[in-house]
Amino acid sequence: MSDKKTMTYYPGCSSQGAGRHLDQSLRAVMPEVGVALDDIEDWNCCGASVGNIGGGQLPNLALTGRNLAKAQQKGSQDVITGCAACYLNTHSGNEKIKADVKKRAAINEALDAGGLSYTAELKVRHACEVLVNEVGLEAIEKRVANPLTGLKVAGYVGCQTVRPFAGTAAGGDYDAYDDPTFLDDFTRACGAEAVPFAHKTACCGGSVAVMSPERTLHLMKAILEEASKAGADVISTPCPLCQTNVEMYQPAINAKFGANYNIPVVFYSQLMAVAFGMDGVKDAALNRNTIRSQKLEAMAKGGGRK
Amino acid sequence: MTTPAPAAARTYDLSFARWVAENVNGGDKLSLCMQCGACSGSCPIGVQMDYGPRKLFMMIRAGMKEEVLSANTQWNCTSCYRCVVRCPRGVPVTYILQDLAAKSVEFGYVEGPQENKNFAQSFWWSTKAFGRTDERLMTTRYFFSLGLGEGFRRVTANLRIALGMVRAGRMHLGLPHRIKGRKDLRAILAKAREIEARHGSAGE
Repeated sequence: MSDKKTMTYYPGCSSQGAGRHLDQSLRAVMPEVGVALDDIEDWNCCGASVGNIGGGQLPNLALTGRNLAKAQQKGSQDVITGCAACYLNTHSGNEKIKADVKKRAAINEALDAGGLSYTAELKVRHACEVLVNEVGLEAIEKRVANPLTGLKVAGYVGCQTVRPFAGTAAGGDYDAYDDPTFLDDFTRACGAEAVPFAHKTACCGGSVAVMSPERTLHLMKAILEEASKAGADVISTPCPLCQTNVEMYQPAINAKFGANYNIPVVFYSQLMAVAFGMDGVKDAALNRNTIRSQKLEAMAKGGGRK
Repeated sequence: MTTPAPAAARTYDLSFARWVAENVNGGDKLSLCMQCGACSGSCPIGVQMDYGPRKLFMMIRAGMKEEVLSANTQWNCTSCYRCVVRCPRGVPVTYILQDLAAKSVEFGYVEGPQENKNFAQSFWWSTKAFGRTDERLMTTRYFFSLGLGEGFRRVTANLRIALGMVRAGRMHLGLPHRIKGRKDLRAILAKAREIEARHGSAGE
């Protein structure tokens, strides 16, 4: 990408909670590859996977309506988010509002109650799609000042980052559903080694894992098992829920299956921040992982501290 | 779980498939289903469901309303969307299951505390109250919605995780993160609910 570009940024609720290190590292990394992030004012929750059950179809869609009405106040530049669920809801909601005149009218009638309106002209994009299509691997590679030589990374893409939109025109057509390559490409661009990892788009259990771990621990165990067999030093993921689930449930998985997993799960953007030679704490937020990677921290500027 | 066999005593609601087509999000695409089973075969926890999506869709066609709306199928969907991208007929399986779950609650097929229903309701409570998901309050509210004893059991079981999150700065102490436009958001959501009641969700 030649010029600097500004995009309207939707951080999502996890950016203030369990996924803070995704937000922190994205904010560090994106401007370094030419994408300035300008936050939506007073953004709200996207509705995630259960909003329509708790609140109903149209109220759930109205959450996206309000965010996009607020984004529109920033101008016509593309909306970008790093969170898989935020992307899925905001992108699919946007396309629904665009395609369906009746829905657009209904959403605007609802938005009007809050003094807002949305003309349905924005484009909502995932940060990974922007990195592939807009920034390009070469620009990422070029920015690497501190290659992560010798770090073995299992690229765990998860679900909603690629499904169901990665292979659609509106979704930027940036990769495949079952065997995407972008995450391993990011790993290699950072100078690390992408180990073969067949579970790359397996499900961690998503929100079902949060509400009912017993139903899904075996899914996460399968992911950890393969990463461990592949000799991965870390698992890398783009999804805040995957990161938290696969990290926080390792003690429960060990107890249930008599295993002994202690594998760090990091975001691709944390790897990039380290590879870009940025600060291990301030930019890569390595101190926010509850299972820390000594190998990665030793490579980071200033280490992981604490 | 075995499929309920046809029985003379069982009532079949022959208008159910049409009702689903007209009222469930994505239900209008259900007639495209050719029963290939790619959905059930792709499902990460399909084996834990009473019936996989393929079988559930056939039951909808057969008019087995009671069995469909009280099935646990829709509650075990993890929203991984593998069935959606793999369906050769373009049936939006995940969307249909999600809305069937909502309809199961709406029509009283889910009685008492139930994990998914209570989780969704706690989630929506946080969204409505603060405009954002407060992971601490939402999960705590969810735990105790399952009963006092169960609440304490789950809080205790998750204490170590919570402490780790606090230490890593991923769970804050203090007031929830709230949006400024809470009043406007609630007005928007109330209006949306009113419009939906007027038109119905799928037809909207």
